[in-house]
Amino acid sequence: MPEMLSRIADSLFWMARYIERAEDTARILDVNYHMMLEQSDHEYRLRWDPLIVMAGEEKPFQQLYTEANAYTVFDFLAFRADNPSSIVQCIAKARENARTIRERISREMWEDINGLYHMVNRFDAADEIAAGPHRFCDAVKFACHRFHGVTDATLPHDEGWQFLRIGWSLERAEATTRLVDVQYQNLLEKPSVPATADNHQWMAVLRSVGAYEAYHRQYHSPIKPEKVAEMLILHPQHPRSIRFTATEVQAGLRAISGAGSGTYANEAERLTGRVLEGLRYQTIEEIFSRGLHTYLGDLLQSFRSIGHDIARTYFYYAVVA
Amino acid sequence: MSAAPQEVPGSALFQGYDPGSYYDEMFSSRGEPRPYYVKMFQKLAALAPSHFEERRQLADLAFLMQGITFTVYSDGRGTERLFPFDLIPRILPRSQWERIERGLAQRVVALNLFLQDVYGKQRILKDRQMPRELIYSCQHFRREMIGIEVPRGIHTHISGIDLVRDSKSGEMVVLEDNVRTPSGVSYVLENRLVMTRTFPDAFQACEVLPVNHYPAELCRILRSLSPRATDQPQMVLLSPGIYNSAYFEHSFLAQQMGIELVEGRDLIVDANVVYMKTIRGLKRVDVMYRRIDDEYLDPLTFRSDSLLGVPGLMGAYRAGNIALVNAIGNGIADDKAVYSYVPTFIRYYLGEDAILRNVETYLGDRDLGYILDHLPELVVKAVGESGGYGMLIGPAADRATIEQFGTRIQANPRNYIAQPVVPLSRVPSYHAGTRRIIGCHVDLRPYCLYDGEKVTIVPGGLTRVALTPGSLVVNSSQGGGSKDTWVLHGEC
Repeated sequence: MPEMLSRIADSLFWMARYIERAEDTARILDVNYHMMLEQSDHEYRLRWDPLIVMAGEEKPFQQLYTEANAYTVFDFLAFRADNPSSIVQCIAKARENARTIRERISREMWEDINGLYHMVNRFDAADEIAAGPHRFCDAVKFACHRFHGVTDATLPHDEGWQFLRIGWSLERAEATTRLVDVQYQNLLEKPSVPATADNHQWMAVLRSVGAYEAYHRQYHSPIKPEKVAEMLILHPQHPRSIRFTATEVQAGLRAISGAGSGTYANEAERLTGRVLEGLRYQTIEEIFSRGLHTYLGDLLQSFRSIGHDIARTYFYYAVVA
Repeated sequence: MSAAPQEVPGSALFQGYDPGSYYDEMFSSRGEPRPYYVKMFQKLAALAPSHFEERRQLADLAFLMQGITFTVYSDGRGTERLFPFDLIPRILPRSQWERIERGLAQRVVALNLFLQDVYGKQRILKDRQMPRELIYSCQHFRREMIGIEVPRGIHTHISGIDLVRDSKSGEMVVLEDNVRTPSGVSYVLENRLVMTRTFPDAFQACEVLPVNHYPAELCRILRSLSPRATDQPQMVLLSPGIYNSAYFEHSFLAQQMGIELVEGRDLIVDANVVYMKTIRGLKRVDVMYRRIDDEYLDPLTFRSDSLLGVPGLMGAYRAGNIALVNAIGNGIADDKAVYSYVPTFIRYYLGEDAILRNVETYLGDRDLGYILDHLPELVVKAVGESGGYGMLIGPAADRATIEQFGTRIQANPRNYIAQPVVPLSRVPSYHAGTRRIIGCHVDLRPYCLYDGEKVTIVPGGLTRVALTPGSLVVNSSQGGGSKDTWVLHGEC
């Protein structure tokens, strides 16, 4: 088995991250929009600006628009070429990465991601903005799922596949961390919100990660913010919880390095192990008593460091002979 | 709609088709298909134009979905365009192909001997069979190659030799040689794949020789060149990257051969050994199929501003630690003035007459007077260019352009050659604008692989077609498209 080129590992990792980023953005746009439709009381309408905060693109947004509403946020997060994290841009970059490694991925994967790229480019931004985000976001979400499926079914589950697994798990871990953090802060700023509005907000959060039904099966109780946080941070099996995604990152890293449980072969593995220790053995009460925002901020920082350490270990050659 | 009288029942597609005064590859005379085209003609004639159009769109979609496109950046967002593919194949009977095959093999062996000689003992120059200045004045002559013994003595592992059929004689003649990094073979394979999906019935009726063994044959040659005695030599294809217009082909061939596709930044040279950067450290590279031109290959030896190449590669090559395919310095054989001496090479090195003739060629520095006097009837080409650039087609040019070109030739006669206009043969091709079949001019580029002992040529090659009505320029950069080329198992 020939060794994998560093550039190829890098491209696989980023291809997966961009696909996941597109899906995460599509999910949150869609859910936010629907919850807003059901909310008649103007005062407690869901706000759109947290979505921009979550994407980390406040500055470019403010340069383009005067107000964050259903239309401007959708336009910005889905279509704008000047937003590097817009869905269309993410898919273009995922495909660009796929193109540089198309001899290394399966023909089906290439044709699928190429088709996805042509699909999002066929949507007319003005038409979709008028029609609302559902049609577009739903198409993107399912196309991303299909790409996952095609990948799993056609690519050998070798090292290359592990880099993909790490890529989308790490991206998803960051997305869920930001989602919980931003939503919590958003709510805490408005302590007088009546319980019903509050509920809607958290329902939206659960739906955006596809965990609404699972929540009810798990807790059999009305939606409580602490329980939602527990589910999204600590749930061992839900595929978008932070704990689950971090476990995936660890499994991928270990499959590549061959490190056994309880040991680590590089800095990325050490950090992942440390993060997971907290996620496995802390209760949600302990996390709240430390301060949720601080905790999530630290987590986000750890995920970023893990990303850098993966790059340092596998992608970059600093020494030039 | 009133029923128009038709020569062939139901052949609405071919209605009014006129082979004209050119050699038509399909028809020997109006309405009379050549024996080896009869079956395909019947299939096509039985198709309603709407059905043909449907198949055409299916074929286009197949190319689009596989990403066999090139990108136009002029609109600011990067639009993907297809290389036009025409569904009507170019067919050659076995006997015609065998003569072509013999002629090409002879030519490739002679070109290889010539390159060995010029970068070695230079017998042909000492024997005054061709002027020494002609070699030393070549833009693509690489002084650095002199005295280098290349692995197994092969310079021309892969040759793309452009042939055209002269309508006057009906004979296939050689238009130019491409022994640097000829491209297009992926289209031969992909065109065939799309054709078998689009016209499966026609393949059942006609016995068409297969082409898909090309990557395996090339891979066999690459493996045989490894300077290290190992069962598993590390082979790579060096590409300039995704912005290169031939990137699809690089990626396609690497995948088909199962070798690593690399860019310059993936490689490093240490102590005259080439390594690639993997997730588990540096791994030695033995054989490189490079798709980067000589001048960009090694910034330490050639163009120092090249970011595409690998610093130190030439040193590793000279030390015999890596095999390069094709060899460096082959550009002299592509020079259009040197081309005129290929029949001389064949006689000098092989003691044979050339099986495939050259087009009559006037050299700028030898025949300047004649060229200047006859510009309106000649095709003039810059000797070092390819892709249809730097050309004057006399009969199609206005007086001012001709005069301008004349001045340029006088300023640097060595840089130009002139040839009479070859009336290229035509193949019926679909014209989307009018939904009719019209005759379009074609050439043929077979791909020849040389392992040092024998030349292997996949039957046929790339038929390029000038889809603009009346145009003689088949290059894709100039609006050309391509066709599948069928060599039949027999004569019909």
